[in-house]
Amino acid sequence: MSSPILQACNLVKSYDEGRVEALRGVDVQIDAGEYVAISGPSGSGKSTLLHLLGGLDTATQGQVFFKGSELGKAVNLDSYRSRQVGFIFQAFYLLPTLRAIENVQVAMLAVNQKANHRAERAAALLEEMGLSHRMRHFPNELSAGERQRVAIARALANDPTILLADEPTGNLDSVNSAHIMEILRGIREQRGMTMIIVTHENDIAHNAPRHIRIRDGRIES
Amino acid sequence: MASQLSFTGFAWKNLWRRRLRTLLTLVGITMGIGAFVALVGFSRAFEHEWLRMYTSSGIDLAVVQSNLLSSSIDESLVTKIGAVPDVAQVAPMIFNLMDLTPEVNALAYGWRANTYEFDSITILSGHRFRDGQPEILLGDLLASNLKKKAGDIIPIQGTNFTVAGIFHGGTALEAGAVIMPLDQMQLIAGMEGKVTAFHVKLRPVPAGESYDHYVSRASADIEAALPGIRAVPAAERAANNQIVELAHSVAWGTSAIALIIGILGIANTMAMSVFERTREIGILRALGWKGRHVILLILAEATALGFAGGLLGIGVGWGALRLLSTLPQTASIVSASVAPSHLLESLVIAIASGLLAGAYPAWRGARLSPVEALRYE
Repeated sequence: MSSPILQACNLVKSYDEGRVEALRGVDVQIDAGEYVAISGPSGSGKSTLLHLLGGLDTATQGQVFFKGSELGKAVNLDSYRSRQVGFIFQAFYLLPTLRAIENVQVAMLAVNQKANHRAERAAALLEEMGLSHRMRHFPNELSAGERQRVAIARALANDPTILLADEPTGNLDSVNSAHIMEILRGIREQRGMTMIIVTHENDIAHNAPRHIRIRDGRIES
Repeated sequence: MASQLSFTGFAWKNLWRRRLRTLLTLVGITMGIGAFVALVGFSRAFEHEWLRMYTSSGIDLAVVQSNLLSSSIDESLVTKIGAVPDVAQVAPMIFNLMDLTPEVNALAYGWRANTYEFDSITILSGHRFRDGQPEILLGDLLASNLKKKAGDIIPIQGTNFTVAGIFHGGTALEAGAVIMPLDQMQLIAGMEGKVTAFHVKLRPVPAGESYDHYVSRASADIEAALPGIRAVPAAERAANNQIVELAHSVAWGTSAIALIIGILGIANTMAMSVFERTREIGILRALGWKGRHVILLILAEATALGFAGGLLGIGVGWGALRLLSTLPQTASIVSASVAPSHLLESLVIAIASGLLAGAYPAWRGARLSPVEALRYE
């Protein structure tokens, strides 16, 4: 039996001095190597949950544990994000002044890898994404699908153990969506990574081995 | 070959994305550092020239009524000073600034024709002036600016002075100076029987005694013989006289204002940059960049602006000094030489300005919450 890589206990997240509650006591456990989809209506709290699991934000109440150690206390959030977690966002969030290969390297600047290693690894990852011919292009010279593939390469740059994707196909057409999901499936199978995808697309959610539904800040199933 | 992204390369790209703003910021800090190099360099060169002028003349002590250039002492005290045992020679003199033409002003000295201070200058043409005669000697630079030669006439305050000769001195101050008989200077300055100072040359330093101690002892002896009179070592007189101190004050004051404007320019640029890049900083934080990485990035950008502005400012300031040293109006008091230590000091101030200006924007950038920054529109 796998040990939990992530465990959330009674997570509460509120905004506006408690007037808005995004999460209202969420308990969830994710095992190492698991592929989990989280779905729910807009404003249900699914992205907030992903942010808390990824150490992007801190809970108003409750704890998140990574391999049994509490995030923000026993585990430094910056180190956790740079070494254990790779993020993929709906809006890609590439830096507009950097070329594709430089966007991938930016993530590695946080962990002080050697310059030649950074460039070689970024090139290898982009090649893996089928973008060897687009490495020197700027984000505005790439299609939406290509941008998301650069973002995936960037998420993998520091060889994380967990991949967190927030609506990764939300800005893509059906062909590119399928391509991105194919890439993510391949990554999980080859690397054995834990993958959590927030999505509002039923196909993606139902194809995941585990599907968490969330509504009004609470897990439904 | 895959292109490598370094930390500094990333900072450079951030500056380069807003070229015009970066350029305008550079202009601001360049002008600040340029003003510092030119003005402070000028005042220090001015002080240095004064010191050189004293040392090349062999002056050990300046006897003055107070520490002001406007000092006025009875010329008759020359006998009492000369009677002090360690005093070898005493030169009563008057120093002033004089407008020779509406465009050209000059340092003006009143000397006796037999003063030992003539040993420090070389007569290039003509001859030494004579006491009691309306004659003057012109420094070579001043003569060139006035287009005068030995035998020419220059009217000064209603009296026609004959150019007795052209001299070369060891300093820019002397090259742009005019020297006339002490009695003539007393007449045109309304200082009959008075002098500005006595320049004292001491006997050789006794064996076993340091120069500083010797000068200090001689100074005490003169002050004891002449109550109310000060005998100031030449180096101190060069550094602490009213003109030099005024030059220092104006230079530092003006430079400080220019530097503050430059620093505010960088601070504004970096604050705007952090504001505009809020989401990008959020992305970096999401990728695991620590707060100190963000601080380093913003400070690197601000420091690069300071460094580049410093280099450009040094060039501008040096160029301004060179230009001033060639203009007739300023050539007599401006030296084009700048001490390497002053250039280094300017560069350090420029870099420190960048760090200071970038500090708050960097701190603000580092405090951004990743999620809040990513949500920023």
